[in-house]
Formats: sequence, structure tokens, C-alpha cells
Amino acid sequence: MNKNNQNSSRPALSNYVFRPEFSSLLILIVMFTITAILQENFFTLKSIVRNINAFAPLILLAMGAAVVIISGGIDLSAGSALSLFTCVLTTVMKKSDPITGVYAILVTLAVAILVGVVNGFGIGYLRIPPVIVTFATSYIWLGIGLFLRPTPGGESVEWFRIFYNPGMIEGIHPYIKQFGRVIPPALILILAACLIWFIVSKTRIGRHIYAVGSNSESAYASGINTAKVQMQACIINSIFIFLAALFFVGQNQSGDARMGDPLTLRAIASAIVGGVAISGGKGSVYFALVGALILNFVNKIIFFADISTAYQTLVSGLIVIIAIAAPVAYTLYSKE
Amino acid sequence: MNLGISMFFERYKKIIVAFILIVLLFALGGIIVPNFLTVEQVLFTLKLASFTALFALCQMIVIAAGGSGLDLSVGYAATLTAVLTASVMDGQNANLGAAILIALALGSAIGLANGALVSFLELPPLVVTMAMANILQGIVNAYTAGRNITGRPSPILATLAAKSTGKFPNILFILFTITVLVMIVLNKTKWGTILFGVGSNETTAYLSGINVKAVRCAVFVISGILASLTGLLLIGNMGIAFKDMASNYVMPSIAAVVVGGVSLTGGDGNYIGVILGAIFLQALTNLLIAFGLGDAGKWLAFGIVLYVLLSFYASDRRSR
Repeated sequence: MNKNNQNSSRPALSNYVFRPEFSSLLILIVMFTITAILQENFFTLKSIVRNINAFAPLILLAMGAAVVIISGGIDLSAGSALSLFTCVLTTVMKKSDPITGVYAILVTLAVAILVGVVNGFGIGYLRIPPVIVTFATSYIWLGIGLFLRPTPGGESVEWFRIFYNPGMIEGIHPYIKQFGRVIPPALILILAACLIWFIVSKTRIGRHIYAVGSNSESAYASGINTAKVQMQACIINSIFIFLAALFFVGQNQSGDARMGDPLTLRAIASAIVGGVAISGGKGSVYFALVGALILNFVNKIIFFADISTAYQTLVSGLIVIIAIAAPVAYTLYSKE
Repeated sequence: MNLGISMFFERYKKIIVAFILIVLLFALGGIIVPNFLTVEQVLFTLKLASFTALFALCQMIVIAAGGSGLDLSVGYAATLTAVLTASVMDGQNANLGAAILIALALGSAIGLANGALVSFLELPPLVVTMAMANILQGIVNAYTAGRNITGRPSPILATLAAKSTGKFPNILFILFTITVLVMIVLNKTKWGTILFGVGSNETTAYLSGINVKAVRCAVFVISGILASLTGLLLIGNMGIAFKDMASNYVMPSIAAVVVGGVSLTGGDGNYIGVILGAIFLQALTNLLIAFGLGDAGKWLAFGIVLYVLLSFYASDRRSR
């Protein structure tokens, strides 16, 4: 094939069409349409709220994963961190004493920041490869989680349902009840994460995260404290995971040291499907949300297609491989 | 003479550290826990450690080829092999050949898929093998959903993996044979030179005519095959196959390599160190179980050991 011809004409179109963001939006629209056709009452308020609730944890973790990947790292400990947070929350809380809920939130937030610091310290300051650091820490979180909750359980204060469905709390003000019926708390948690990232991305930290991720050497040379930036990315990720933990405990009223494990890979996959480059520095945190929606819709379609749930692990693994291999395969193919 | 000794220490520093750690652990266990240092108990520890060591061999070969390679699918490849071959063997020696063929086919197919994606499409090994682990576990889940896993290992396999000759577990003979083979291949043949060459400097390796991508693909195939064969030994040891039988070996296999002093950046690898690493982890597990800190203590300790050792060893190449 003529190389010059290719250089001049092919990429002109593909610059627009094959931008990862564009294709992920396109896939989302297709998935959305299929799901809307398959599911009856898809557009009723009840079903929208239910879908948002089902999608929320992965969306939050995917946004966190995107922040870390953009900063040049990766987080294999996200799922175990989520599990650990649910264990801490349900250990500190006593069902009979409502004030313990506040203590639990504060303690868990501190734990979340500590988790981010430990991951970030290994990645940034010790400069151990991120995959290995977070692989090691994932077992530390699992171990601590198992100490707190050898078996799933624990207790939660009644008002924690405010993070899931305020309508289930007895004696709550009817306005809040109505509000919760229309705008689910899960959506507020997602918006909170978006807001956090919006603020961060407008500050120096946000720009530095991209700079460190795209070229750590030159970022360092231009005076950026790369280690600190990578640690900050890990802490932001950890806070998003913390928000997901609030939702989980609100929903289940219990903690489980292993419940988050399947989410780790799915969160990373969501970020990649949303167009975040695994090599770092490129992509958008908001589009990780799109990626998470796509993966969630795929799960729904599997459900409607009457494929046994036994196949879900298999399918999500396949999706990850296809998602990360497709862009590379396409570039290789178009080079030939 | 003095120089020779100091060079010896410099070269085997990490292995000596691993050895000292093991001695300390056994000493500690011997003082605190009754029966920790009896011959039976030590041999039993070695027997359990040898399975970790076999999975760690897969890991070591992949890691040695560099490119931040790791194989998180080893335990899952073993589980799938064990689950699929259980009914094929059905407790008959005559069917062992078929089981081995299945293991070889499965292992090489899994390894080839991993290797092709990692080396030819240049995807991150950890994500690829983690996704592969999901796929394999998914196949196991789908296969075992709604049916019982029937079948037993063939008696030969059970003898090799579970039984002992006198007090001496047979699996240790296998491990010893493999160790000798690995040491010869890695240190005395050109295969070892090629592997370490690719791992330590891929540009030099490429310039001297080595097909770097093929080597990086091949290590995953070797890893897949070894993992599947280890799956056969595992079912031989346990007598049955079940859904999560080998997934718990993935973390220890990596930790053993790190404790054994193998650099995760590739280019070196001493299997004896890795075996010491596996023994250390097993002794640590036993000690924690003796203290009543089962699963929680084990995973926490493994995580901390990995993190701490990595932070020490990473300082070797920290420049700024």
C-alpha cells in the first residue's frame, strides 16, 4: 500500500472518528438503545433510579481508576480497599447509637486517605512499579478487612440508608423522602465525585497529574514534585472508593472483606473503555463514567439475553481484553 | 580470596537474606510453638511450599524476560486443568496420558493467548493476565454450575504428589529434579542466556539477533504449560478438584519470587532463591496459623512482606 497516500488521507477522518472518546460515546448510545429495547419500563422513574443504584459503585471506582491511570499509575487494590472501607464502617458503627455513624464516616475517611498515602508512597516515593505496589497492598487491605470481618456482617446505624434510599428510614421528613425517590443518593455521590474532580482539575494538581502521567521525566525536570502528584492522585482515587463504600453500606447495612474484588478489573476496564490511555497522561475522568456505563449496560444485556450469571466473569474478562486490544489492533492494521 | 568472598556475598545477598529469614522463622516457631521443628512438620512445610515454588517458577520465567512481565493467570490455569481433567482421569492410570495431553494443550493455549497479547499487541501483562484469570475462572464457574465435579486423580499422580517415601514427600523429588533441570537450562545453555539477555536489555538482545517478541511470548507459553501441569499435581495431592483450588497460589507465587531476591525488572533469576522464598512464606503461614491468625494474618503478612521487601530492593535503582 502507498504510505504517503495513507498519511495524507486516512488519519484526517480517523482523527475525528477514531478518537477514543468518540467511539466510546457511540458504543454507549448503541448499548443504551439495546437495553432500552430489551427492558420494559426502561424510562420509568423507578427503573431509572434502580439502574443508577446498580451502576453507581462501578462508576465511582472507574473515575478513581481513571485519575490514577492518567497520573501514570494503576490501582489493583481498589476492590479490596472498597471492601476494607465497608468493614471499617460496619465495625465502628453500633446499630443502637446513631452518633456512631458520624464517627464511622470520619474514621473511614481517615483510613481512605491513609490507603491512598500508602499506595502513593510506594508508587511515587519508593518508585516500585505501580502494579506491584497495589498488588501487594490489595492483600494488606484484604488481611485487615478479614481481621475486622472474618465473615460478611457487622452492623450499621439506621440513618446510613440515606446513602441508598432515604425512603426506607422511618420518621424521616416527607420532603427528603420524596426527594430521595426522584434523585437517588447514588446520583448525588456520583455528582460529588464529579465535583471533586472538577475542582481538582481546575487547580495545579489536576494539570500536574496529566503532566506526570504523560512524561514523568520532563515533569520532574520542570520542577514538579512527581512523587507528591502521584500520591495525590492515589488519595483522590481512595476518596472516590470511600464514596462507593458509603453507598454499599447504605444498601446492604453490612461489611464484607471480599465483596469488592470483582470490581477492581472492571473499574480499570471502564477507564480504558472510556478512552483513558493505559500508558498515562491521556484521557478524561468523566469519560471513565461513560466506560463504566458501557460495562454496566453490557451486564444488563447479558442478563436480558438470558445468559447464565455463571458466564458473567468470563464475559467481563473477554470485554477487558477486547477493549484494550482493539485500539492497538486497529493501529497495527491501519499501519499495514 | 577476600575479594572472592565479598563478591559471593554481593551476588547472593538477597538469597542469603531469604535464608536468614527462614532460619529466624523456624527458630522463632521452634521456641514458641510445640512440634514446629520436628522432622515431620518441617518436611510437611516443605511439601506445601513446593506447590508454591512450582507456581513461582512460572512467575520467575515470565519476570526474567523483562518488560514488567507477570502472570496472574497461573492459579486459574491450574484450577481449570484440574477441574477438566478430574473426570477424564476418573481414578485410572490408563487415562493419565490423556490428562497430561489436555494439560499441555490447555496450558499452551492459555500461554499463547497471554503471550500474543502481551508481546505482539504490547498490552500491559498485568491487565492481560488478570483478564485471562477472569476468563478462566469464568469457564470454571460455567463448567461447574449445575453439576458436580466428579472424578479422582490417577493413582500414579496421587503417589507422586501426595504420598511419601518413608518420611520424605515424593513431591520433593519432583521439585529437586525440576530445580536441577532449571538450573542447567538457565545457566548452562543458550536458552538461559537469551532469556536473561532479553530481560536485562532488550535493545542489545534485539541487536544481537534475538527475536525479543518471540521470547516474551514463549515465556508465557512455558508459564501456562507449567501452571497446567502443576494443576495436575495439585489434584493429585488433594484427591479432588474444586472451583477455587489454586487461585490462592497467585499471590504467594509472586511473593516467593520477590522474597527469593529476583528483580521484578527482569534479567536475572535464581530458582533456588525462589524455592527459599516459597519455604519462607509457607513457614510464615504455619506460624500464623499456630497463633490462630488464619487467612487474615496470612494475607496481611504476605502483603506487608511484599511491600517492605520491594521498598528495600527498589532503592537499588532509585537515582533521583
